[in-house]
Amino acid sequence: MLRLWSAISCLLLASAAASASSQSFENSAIVRTIDLGGSLVHVTTTFAVKALKEAAGVYTITLPEDEIFNTSWLEVKVKGKQQPLTVTYSGAPAGSKSHNLDVSLEKPLEAGATINLVLETVQTHTTRPWPQQAAQDEDQSLKYETSLFVLSPYNTSVQRTKLKSSSPRIIFYTEPENVQAFTLENPVTKSGSTVTYGPYSNVPPSANQAFLDKYQQRVVLHYSYDYPVLEVLKLRRAAEISHWGANLNIQDDIVLHNAGPRLNGHFSRLQHQTQSFYGRGAPHVLPLFTVQLPPGIRNTYYLDQIGNVSTSHLRVAPSVSRGLKNTQNSVLELKPRYPIMGGWNYTYTLGWDAPLGDSGSYDPNTGKYIVSIPVMTEIPGAVVNDAEISIILPEGATDVDYVAPFPALSNEISTHVTYLDTIGRPMVIFKYKNLTNKHAKPIYVSYRVPISAHLRKPMAVATVLLVLFTFAMVARRVDLTIYKTPTKKM
Amino acid sequence: MSEYESIKALHDSLPPFRPLISVALLPYLALILLASTFALAFYSSILPKTTIPGKEIPLAVTASILGGFGVVALFCTVGVYV
Repeated sequence: MLRLWSAISCLLLASAAASASSQSFENSAIVRTIDLGGSLVHVTTTFAVKALKEAAGVYTITLPEDEIFNTSWLEVKVKGKQQPLTVTYSGAPAGSKSHNLDVSLEKPLEAGATINLVLETVQTHTTRPWPQQAAQDEDQSLKYETSLFVLSPYNTSVQRTKLKSSSPRIIFYTEPENVQAFTLENPVTKSGSTVTYGPYSNVPPSANQAFLDKYQQRVVLHYSYDYPVLEVLKLRRAAEISHWGANLNIQDDIVLHNAGPRLNGHFSRLQHQTQSFYGRGAPHVLPLFTVQLPPGIRNTYYLDQIGNVSTSHLRVAPSVSRGLKNTQNSVLELKPRYPIMGGWNYTYTLGWDAPLGDSGSYDPNTGKYIVSIPVMTEIPGAVVNDAEISIILPEGATDVDYVAPFPALSNEISTHVTYLDTIGRPMVIFKYKNLTNKHAKPIYVSYRVPISAHLRKPMAVATVLLVLFTFAMVARRVDLTIYKTPTKKM
Repeated sequence: MSEYESIKALHDSLPPFRPLISVALLPYLALILLASTFALAFYSSILPKTTIPGKEIPLAVTASILGGFGVVALFCTVGVYV
């Protein structure tokens, strides 16, 4: 259901089957809303679908190839309902650089019935800073490119695309050409911070090369963006479970990158102080950011290579028992050692301890422990390029099984050795790419630990102590005097 | 996805994890166990030196076991959750 397209891309090389789109549906309206962000772009496409034939149960969505490669998260829902629908990849129509996804409707529709489907995707790495360099006090502008028409293998009565930026300062937007067949009015309008391409009426089935060659064109939007564009280049999360201490330690090693325009010239601390004093910070500078941590955490540490970073503020929310719904998260305001200018990186380590009862449970019927570990902590607006999550289970854990919310690029189980370990602990490693804020879900790992494995640690220490005692007993009885002075009787 | 949803529902319905020995007791346990390890070790060091260590061996074994648990409790008390 939720897929990483790098996994799909190996399918793309194998299959180029043309899918015969029998006209069982018709789109009454398609509205695509693109929420432009920094490194993440949310695209919501609403299809108002009418069934033309009986028992129409599978609706096909066509996405252009470049959009599929940039999409990190995809979900199709019926408008107003919570449960996502099943989406399967169904091949690429021959020749056209697009790919089909089949959405299985819950109940097949009768002829004439209508339904509203909402396709939500999150695209990553689709915006780029333009100009690519900016001085410390200059503005930040980004460019976003997409295709003009929403493709569909069915007839569309009317479609429009809305590009929403967060600020009304839009520098440039493409005027589409050759759209007289679909609209007689202005093909593009701008109002406030929204640019609307459409409405375009009576669009024929567009998932074929003929339509693409004749009408499809690229649309570029150049807009001002008032927040820093953040990327996490590397995330290494290690979650260590301790049964003796009833503790879950989570440690994140993060390399944060400001993907905005590169800093032009040198960094002037004086100018930066002046800007922050008067509250006129440049939009591409990151002085501080806030993350939400789980409630009930303790022993939080925020370090980087130099040592502890003291410019942070943590407000801990009270611990929530596992059955209850969590309403409040701990809030940590992180201020890096230096303001992160465009093109700069910052590497830091953030870790905390949490009671194991908050995320771990025990099933007395099967004797298995289940623990839920979140994949990542969301840094607002940031994409995680490369993530590796290691879950370190207690020593002697057996029957290790895991369920991830979305498939990983790779999984492996290896051994990790730490304090007081004899045989080492099983470690489950998940590797991911291009994670977004929609991916901050928990991984569930279940395992069994027999009592003998619990006792392994004290017995290991006891063995060492016993060896010391034995050595002491032997050493007491060894006579090391060199020469016995004979006792003289006086 | 149903596998994920089912394990999520299972996890939410199960009782939370509870350790064998309550965590709040661990500092006191560490103190008592390590103090008794030290006391037994001291006593075994002042016993007379016999050829067969008749009393020393059981003392050493008890002291080692108590010390083993005491060291694990000590690690957990200071924050190294082993």
